[in-house]
Amino acid sequence: MKIPDLLTIENLNFRYLIREEPALTNISLSFSSGEVALIAGASGCGKTTLIRCINGLIPHSYRGVKSGRIMADGKDLAQLKLAEISQMIGTVLQDPERQILGTKVINEVAFGLENLGFNRQEILERVDESLARLKISDLRDRDTFSLSGGEKQKVALAGVLAMRPRILLLDEPLASLDPASAEETLAILRILADEGMAILLVEHRVEDVLKIHPEQVVFMSNGEVRYQGNAEDLDESINYRDVKLPAPMIIERARNQKPAVSFPVFELPASNRESLVSFVDVEFNYEEGVPILHGISLDIHQGDVIAVLGPNGAGKTTLVKHAIGLLKPKAGQVLIGGQDTCKMSVAEIAQTLGYVFQSPSHMLFAPTVEEELSFGPQNLGHNKDSITKEVKEAIDIVNLSGMEQIPPLSLSFGQQKRVSIAAVLAMRSKILVMDEPSAGQDYRNYIDFMDAILQLPNFDAILFITHDIDLAVIYANRILMVNNGQLVADGKPQDILKDYDHLHKNRLVPTSLLDVNLKYLGKTGRFMRAEQLAQVL
Amino acid sequence: MLVTWRYQERKSIIQYFDPRAWIIFYICFIASTVFFWDLRFLSFFFFVALLVAITSGIRWKEMRRGWLFIGAFIIFFSLLTFLTGRGSMELYTTEHLIRNINLPFSVFGWQPMLKITWEKTFYAFSMILRVFSLASMTILLPYSLDPALYGIIFKGLGLPDKFAYGMDLTMRFIPTFGRDFQLTMDAQKARGYELEKINGGLFKQVRKLAPLMVPVTIHAIAGSEDIIDAMDLRAFGIGIRTWIQELHYHKRDYWLIAFSILMLLLVIALSLFGIGKFWVPASLIV
Repeated sequence: MKIPDLLTIENLNFRYLIREEPALTNISLSFSSGEVALIAGASGCGKTTLIRCINGLIPHSYRGVKSGRIMADGKDLAQLKLAEISQMIGTVLQDPERQILGTKVINEVAFGLENLGFNRQEILERVDESLARLKISDLRDRDTFSLSGGEKQKVALAGVLAMRPRILLLDEPLASLDPASAEETLAILRILADEGMAILLVEHRVEDVLKIHPEQVVFMSNGEVRYQGNAEDLDESINYRDVKLPAPMIIERARNQKPAVSFPVFELPASNRESLVSFVDVEFNYEEGVPILHGISLDIHQGDVIAVLGPNGAGKTTLVKHAIGLLKPKAGQVLIGGQDTCKMSVAEIAQTLGYVFQSPSHMLFAPTVEEELSFGPQNLGHNKDSITKEVKEAIDIVNLSGMEQIPPLSLSFGQQKRVSIAAVLAMRSKILVMDEPSAGQDYRNYIDFMDAILQLPNFDAILFITHDIDLAVIYANRILMVNNGQLVADGKPQDILKDYDHLHKNRLVPTSLLDVNLKYLGKTGRFMRAEQLAQVL
Repeated sequence: MLVTWRYQERKSIIQYFDPRAWIIFYICFIASTVFFWDLRFLSFFFFVALLVAITSGIRWKEMRRGWLFIGAFIIFFSLLTFLTGRGSMELYTTEHLIRNINLPFSVFGWQPMLKITWEKTFYAFSMILRVFSLASMTILLPYSLDPALYGIIFKGLGLPDKFAYGMDLTMRFIPTFGRDFQLTMDAQKARGYELEKINGGLFKQVRKLAPLMVPVTIHAIAGSEDIIDAMDLRAFGIGIRTWIQELHYHKRDYWLIAFSILMLLLVIALSLFGIGKFWVPASLIV
């Protein structure tokens, strides 16, 4: 039976103690059981704060000034203890890595029930039920740290479901998942809603979520609700540059837009066959008998913009770490400019190849953004004048002007990620390598900095690892597909991405942008972004 | 996310016993060892530690790094005390010379001389046996205790729920810290940072370690906040907790616990009678 207004938010306002401006202003929303509600918006729009207000972490863990009321199942949440709220409202955080506590899957799923003091038999029954519901019973006795990203997300979800909440909050659950895992997670959420749960899904990958037909869409900006209604009408109220909408929707809207926008011209040097980096029969393993990379041979040429695609745990990062010399092959060779990486230090390689790590928090340390960005060029021995120029240019590219004197560690995750990219850009390496540049970024930001990076005349080649096929469609002129430690495809995007069976086999899911591009390839001659298609078609 | 030590199920003396019984034995063993400076008694503990290490089923390759570090540490400090005679002065008052060795170099006309005595030699050996026994028994633990059981082990040893789970998290924090350190090291190396090139005065050197220490520390703090949030969101600490894992003592475990306690009591009794202090065979120093 559908319960209307299972969760209601009335005039909610919140300001963090350490901030001057409010994080949420006048939020009034209501959610019913049996429904999926999508809450979309750019970074810093207040989505995560809203989630924290609902699950009780505000005011329990985060202090601030709050007014308004949140009612769940007829109870005022302000009157309930966190433990009581957690039995009614389950939360899945953005990164399952940050949520999983148990050593084994069974411990993780049982954790909440153990804390609530259920008897052992009942806990085990509920654990098995949760695992079966998500079709992951085979993972029951596995170590949590050995799971792939998609498996971790499902295990984190199972741990929450075992507590049988009536309302489920998910904060960007798709961010670290490969497309197939994201699709599976969404399908599960649809089923849970159909079974009677109220699902609140915070996500800026709007296109993906629309596939499971959310009953309600909320669009937030600057801490306020800008749109609340059904999915069909949302295109009128949402700026398609802020969140990722389906390509046909963007094309439709961009067509009517006057004046037409111009698109960046990429300035990479013309392709030639000179090999900048060579992998020759590279083999790698951490433990004997468990190969991570197997028989990898490839060359990176001048002018290449390479997207490395593949499922979670396929070996993409391991492959790229070989290029920078952080890992050395167990057999075979990696050559940079004809020199074997085994004979070069990472610092030497860094002169040629700049590598942006997946997580910015592992590298940021300096008291100001400016000093953070000078660190790399200083290590490489650049002179003071060029460092000033390089730092300024890098700051402009990632859109952080005005933040030069701010400590990078006090910035939001998305901004930190941009600092980490700028820190490598400032080194002026000839080849730029980025691991998941769009992870944790909102749509507008990553499109903006990818545009800016590709327009730089500095690079001989660019390589990025991504789960986002659209990023490959828009920017890459070459695709490397990796699965099970092997290179399963290497070629032009038009050739590789048209084979949908092959994509599915490698846990990639075609997007609407890819569909449209392939449909009109005869006319356009190349892949392009949705707004460009709107002008050409 | 917390990672764990490289545990595997192995056929070993340690894993033959209930982990709680082994922890009790371990604590009694450590406490007993530190009572002695007598090489004869220390040899007993050394052989026990050696036996446990050899039968642990852990391959050399797996813990080579740990052993090399500990080995270098023990040998360096034993050699240092042997050469300088420092650190052992409270254990003996007189020394008996074996021989003086004139070192084959001079400093501003002064020729250093190495004074080798029986006391220094026995002290160095005692030190090696003692530290080896302690280190060896300790280093084997993380490889031999199932990480999924950490919490229930400490709960079973009498700690309250919150402390037991806290110990569980602490045990896993150490390898996690190691992994984060490696990731940061890699990220900074990719920005041209070279640890080997750090030079200058002490203050300058410490400052130059900031690119490693700041991210690792911040990450650890942020990581613990995430852990606290994740625990709060699943009702941790609201009352008496159920632990789904169960541990059961067998007869052999009771024997081990009894042996451990008796051993410790005996050692305390011996030390009260002044037995087990620093020893050099009388025949050598007549």
